[in-house]
Amino acid sequence: MSLLAGEIALDGASRSFALTPDRTNTLKELFVRGGRRARHGVRALDDVDLHVAPGEAVGLIGRNGAGKTSTLRCLAGIVPLDEGRAECGGRTVSLLELGAGFGADFTGRENILLSGALHGFGRAEMEERVDRIIEFSELGDFIDAPVRAYSSGMQLRLGFSIVAHLDADVMLIDEVLAVGDESFQRKCMARIAERMAAGATLVLVSHDPTAIERICRRVVVLDGGRVAFDGQVADGLLFYHRLLGQGEERARSLRPDSHRAAVDVEELELLDEAGRPRAVFRTGEQLDVRLRLRARQAAERAVVAVEVRDQRGELCFRTDETVGALDGATDLTFSVPRLNLMGGDYDVAVGAHDQDAPASPELDRVARFAVTHSLDGEGIADLRGTWSPVGRREVVR
Amino acid sequence: MRYGFLFEQMVRRELRQKYKGSALGVLWYLVNPLVLMGAYALVFSVLLKVADLPDYPLFLLVGLIVWVFFSQALLAAAPSLVQNAALVRKVRFPRETIPASVATVQLATFLVMLAVVAPLALVIRGSADPALALLVPLVALLFSLVLGLSLLVAVLHAHYRDVEPVLAAMLLPWFFLTPIFLPIDSMPGIADHAWLGEVLRWGNPIAPFIEAIRDVLYAGAAPTGGTLLYVLVAGLGALGLGVGLFRRLERDLAVIL
Repeated sequence: MSLLAGEIALDGASRSFALTPDRTNTLKELFVRGGRRARHGVRALDDVDLHVAPGEAVGLIGRNGAGKTSTLRCLAGIVPLDEGRAECGGRTVSLLELGAGFGADFTGRENILLSGALHGFGRAEMEERVDRIIEFSELGDFIDAPVRAYSSGMQLRLGFSIVAHLDADVMLIDEVLAVGDESFQRKCMARIAERMAAGATLVLVSHDPTAIERICRRVVVLDGGRVAFDGQVADGLLFYHRLLGQGEERARSLRPDSHRAAVDVEELELLDEAGRPRAVFRTGEQLDVRLRLRARQAAERAVVAVEVRDQRGELCFRTDETVGALDGATDLTFSVPRLNLMGGDYDVAVGAHDQDAPASPELDRVARFAVTHSLDGEGIADLRGTWSPVGRREVVR
Repeated sequence: MRYGFLFEQMVRRELRQKYKGSALGVLWYLVNPLVLMGAYALVFSVLLKVADLPDYPLFLLVGLIVWVFFSQALLAAAPSLVQNAALVRKVRFPRETIPASVATVQLATFLVMLAVVAPLALVIRGSADPALALLVPLVALLFSLVLGLSLLVAVLHAHYRDVEPVLAAMLLPWFFLTPIFLPIDSMPGIADHAWLGEVLRWGNPIAPFIEAIRDVLYAGAAPTGGTLLYVLVAGLGALGLGVGLFRRLERDLAVIL
C-alpha cells in the first residue's frame, strides 16, 4: 500500500528502548540478530495507529517520556520500529534538534548545502534555494560566520529556514520553535501555513499549547507510548491538562506545620457546577472554591482571602471577605459563576485569620487549575466581545 | 548518484574539522610518513645495514605511504560514527557516508603523496615501464579494501567501544609484521622458516598490496599473477564484507550512539 505525497501512516507501530545499555551481548548474537538487542525496557511506542491526510497539521503533545520524540524519529526513519509500520509519503524533512546536521566549523551558508545534502537534495536544487533561505533567516552577515558562533535563536533561524524551503511533503518539527523570538515565530507560522496550503503535512511536537493552537487543528495526545486522544485542538488540550492534573496533589499547604495560625485552611478543592472536583475549566464555566476552615480557638470575626495568580505570578484577582464568627471546623464555598479567564495555568490561593490579627490574611493553601485555550482570543481576561457594523456615518469636522 | 552531493559535503565537513586551527593543514599528512621514512632509512640502511637494496629510501617510502594510508584510515574511521552521533541520532541519511568520507579524506592525502613519490620513482629509475599502468587499478583496489574495512570497524566500534583501542593496539605489531622495510624474501630469518614467509605474505591482507604497488613503482615490474589475484579478491571481498555488515548492523545506530 503506497502513500500519497504528504500522507502519514502509523499502523500498530511499536518500539521499545532498553533503559540501561545492554552490554552483555556476545558478538555472535550481534551478527545473528543484526544489532537488534533483547529489550525489556520501556515501550516508547506501544501499538500506535495514526493516519494523517495530506495538508493536515497535527500537534503531538504529552507528558515527558510519552513517546512524542520517539514517534517523530520513527516517522523520520531514524529509528526503526520493532513491529508495525511508520511511513511518510513523498519527501520528508525533519527538524528534531537545534543544530542537528550542522557542521560547527562550517559557515551558515555552507551548512545550508550540507543540510540539504543530508535530506537528499542535489547541488543544483540547493543552489537555487540558498538565496531564499538566507533571506528568510534574516541572518545577514552572520551567514558567512561559522555556526559555532551562533546563538540558539540564530541556529533556529537557520535550521527552520532550511527545512521550510526544501519543499517537503512532510515536515516533522520537534520543540524547536520555542527558542525563536516572537516575530520570527510568527514568520515561521506564516511559512508553515503557506507550505500547508501547498499540500504539505506537518507534525509538530511542543510543550507550548499556544504554538499548537496557532498552527494545528488536530491534536494527538500520547501517554505511555499510546494514543490517548486524537481530535480537535480545544478538546485535546483539555484532555491533556486533565492528564497533567492526575496524580498530583490537588492543593498544597503554603505554611510549615509548625507555623500554625489561629484559623487554618484545612482543605481546598476546586469543583465544577455539578460539584465534581476538577483541575481544568473552560472559559465561562462555573468554578467553585471549596474550603474547610478550622479555628484553633473561637474567632469573633474571621476574614477569608482568595487570590488568583497566573503562571508568571501576576495577580489576576484578590478579595478579602469577613465571614463572621468561627468555631471548630467550617466548610465554605467561594463560587465564581462565570470564570472570565482565558487559557493558561492559574493558581488559586486561600487564607484565613481572625480579624484581631494585625495583617491581612496570610495565604495558607494553593491549588492549581488550568483554563483551556480558545481560538478567538489571547491574554488573561475574557473580554471577548462582538463585532458589528455601525452603518454609514458621515464624519464632519 | 543521488547521494554524490551529500558525499562531497561530508568530505568537506571532515576536512574542515581536521584542518581547523592547524598551521600546516594538509601538510601534516606528508610529514608523518616522511619522518618515519627518514628514521627507518637511517636505522635499516645505515646503522643496522640489513637492507642492501638499491635506492633504499624509495623502497621504504613506497611501502610506508601505503601503510600510513591503511592504518590512518582505519584509526580515523573506527570512532567516526560515535563522533558524529548527533548527526546519526537526529537526521536520516545513509550512514555509510560518515566512515566513507573519512576514508576518502585519507585517500586524498595518499594520492597527494603518490603524486610526489611516483614521479620521484621514475626519475630515480630513469625509465618508465608499462607495468606502471597497473598503478591505477591497484590503488582502486587498495581503496576498496580500506573502505570496506573502514565501514566494518566503524559500525563494530559503534556497537562495541573496545574496537578502536584494540585496533590501535594491533596496528603497531601489525606494522612490524608487514614487509615495509624489507621484502619478505630478504628477511634474514626467512631462509630457515619458509612457511613463515608464506604466512607473512598471504596472511596479512595489506602485505600483497604493498608488494604489488612496490613492484610497480620501485621495481618497475608487474606483480606476480598470484599477488594480483589476491589483491583483486581481497579488495572487492573487503568492500563486500564491509558494506554487507554495515547494512546489517546499522539498524539501531540512532539508538545505541
